Amino acid sequence: MTWIDFPLYSTIIGILWVLGLIFLLFSYKKQTVIKFANLLFLSGWFVLIVFVVKLWLELDRPPMRTLGETRLWYATFLPLIGFLTYFHWKYKWFLAYSIAMAGMFLAINYLNPETYSKTLMPALQSPWFIPHVLVYLFSYAVLAASSIVAIKGWYDNYKGNFNIETLKLADNLVYIGFAFLTLGLLFGALWAKEAWGHYWTWDPKEVWAFLTWMGYLIYIHYRYFHMHKSKQALTILALAFVVLLVCWFGVNYLPVANTSVHTYTNY
Amino acid sequence: MSENNYKVQRNLWENPWGYVESFFIGFGLLVTGFFLEMFVASDTPFTISYPYNIVFLVGYIIILFILYKWFSTTQLIRWLTKVPASISSIVLVTLLVMIMGIIPQIPSESNFINNLGLNHITSNWAFLLIVFQFLTCLGLISIKRILQFKWSNFGFILNHVGLFLALVSGMLGTGDLQRLSINVYEGEPSWIATDAKKNKVELPFAFYLNDFVIEEYHPKLALVDNKTGSIAHNNGKNLYLVNEGETYYFQNFEVTINKFLTSAGRIGDQYFPVNELGSPPAASITVKNTKNDSIQNAWISSGSFRYPYESLKISEEYSVVMTIPEVKKFSSNIDILTKEGERISTVLEVNKPFKFKGYKIYQLSYDEKMGKWSNLSVLELVKDPWLPVIYIGIFMMIAGAIYMFWVGNKITKN
Ligand code: HEM
Repeated sequence: MTWIDFPLYSTIIGILWVLGLIFLLFSYKKQTVIKFANLLFLSGWFVLIVFVVKLWLELDRPPMRTLGETRLWYATFLPLIGFLTYFHWKYKWFLAYSIAMAGMFLAINYLNPETYSKTLMPALQSPWFIPHVLVYLFSYAVLAASSIVAIKGWYDNYKGNFNIETLKLADNLVYIGFAFLTLGLLFGALWAKEAWGHYWTWDPKEVWAFLTWMGYLIYIHYRYFHMHKSKQALTILALAFVVLLVCWFGVNYLPVANTSVHTYTNY
Repeated sequence: MSENNYKVQRNLWENPWGYVESFFIGFGLLVTGFFLEMFVASDTPFTISYPYNIVFLVGYIIILFILYKWFSTTQLIRWLTKVPASISSIVLVTLLVMIMGIIPQIPSESNFINNLGLNHITSNWAFLLIVFQFLTCLGLISIKRILQFKWSNFGFILNHVGLFLALVSGMLGTGDLQRLSINVYEGEPSWIATDAKKNKVELPFAFYLNDFVIEEYHPKLALVDNKTGSIAHNNGKNLYLVNEGETYYFQNFEVTINKFLTSAGRIGDQYFPVNELGSPPAASITVKNTKNDSIQNAWISSGSFRYPYESLKISEEYSVVMTIPEVKKFSSNIDILTKEGERISTVLEVNKPFKFKGYKIYQLSYDEKMGKWSNLSVLELVKDPWLPVIYIGIFMMIAGAIYMFWVGNKITKN
């Protein structure tokens, strides 16, 4: 089974990425070195994608059911976001962060060996399953990235060298992430209608997904109306991310959890 | 500096209303709502049905239109079309939904929760009032941008009008939503369904269940702690599907599956393939203890409602068991019989509903105790006449999201 190979794959990826990060650090001294860093990041990412594909084939179902499997998808999407923003806006620190975050997700999976379950309950066997989950995971990864930008903004603010460009990066990420969040929410509604006959039932996971959506909605409108109040905007962004985190893992620990159809199984 | 400060200083309720006034009004609505909740009985959720909901919707839109067109210079309307009013209502809706996300929405023992209606937020007066403000903001702002139409407003209109339509028609539509469930047994026609309030409803057609079919995954193999009865291996995570010829490793045990039968009966000390009501899956396994090289051979079975399960004790602490197989797919082969004498055959399956006479018919459930031998299939019928409007809203929002992704944000571009 492929999860058995995971330690091997993740070690290879880990080594490539750590080397990449070291090169990236050197590139602050000597710009051309960044090419090697990118090459290393890309090869690590490629190995990761090979693993995901093999796992999908081996499991015979989309690997999107368990927490470990979703972490694998974050680890896949974060570098993508890092690469895209790097090629577009040339933020090295952001590339480093997204690679480090992806590495962290892989490390968590390495430390918590994953399930081998191949079964998938009937309601999940739908053409909506893959788009719904992928769009969501992508959006979470982008929004998580926007929060990292917010943290950087706060730090800069504290040090007194805040640059409005940081907030603009956050805006771009929020717009992309929010668009995908909306799609995830709506695909979920359309799917629920097909599977259960109702598109919205205020299931706890749905409630928190809705709250996450509202959180970023506040950010978007606040930014539009108050372009120069950057500190408040950063605060809203941070709070929205807290709600997202509750939605992502917190729901399982709330008193409402046992009524949800969405809690990720542990086996 | 004092001069600067002087300029931004303004009195409460002075033109234009900002966040303080907005939240003031918002909290006022909430308090009013909670008062109503405490002193006005509201056991029945707020729903209006056809034709009143259509009248309400059309009337609401016309009033919003009139308000925007002829009263947009008044303080109130100007406030409602500005961001602070929207943000305060979004924040307060978020707050109430957050309560819903924390307090289970079921009958509660706490008087506080009961009196304020915190366990039925969606029909709570406070929620309805604040949602009303939310929708009014959304409606007015949509009308504003539609009236000053520009192509650059395209995404804005898709998002805001789409959300308005989806929310309003979703809420008003609940009054006309019909949701029935019906038990259908193999070999006999059924036409009496029950609604959400357990009333009997006679359908204009009957269901005849030809066959109810369940497909199962293979059962899984697990190591169980003899004392606690709980799954012992790797925090209960790693369960292997039973497949003939596979070898699995549990701690220092090597378990080989020699033979697997999906439907078996015990004869003497062996299992043989049989096909009877309730015959469970069984497997012959060999367990080798790699510490002392001892070998055990045995049959294990997950059992069924009719036969006991059988496990293999491999040490003082552990036994190997076979779990009840998980369901892969279930479906009903049915005929629908109409009063006019038509007979329509179809297969219902989860995620594959069937449309008939304004109803959507769903495969809901079956007799879970009987599992794959169930001859009962539970179907659900849903009639939702507002669905097309909701879908228009949803698809506008999907288009709006794609637009948003494509065009990016305007703040940065300015
Ligand atoms: C699908 C959800 C929503 C999205 C994607 C969205 C997006 C936006 C965007 C991008 C803007 C900036 C203006 C522009 O691009 O032209 C905006 C403005 C605005 N939005 Fe929303 N919004 C949503 C929901 C809401 C809701 C629920 C409300 C009110 C309760 C609201 C009220 C406003 C207001 C008042 C403005 C300012 C308009 C103006 O000054 O002309 N929006 N919205």
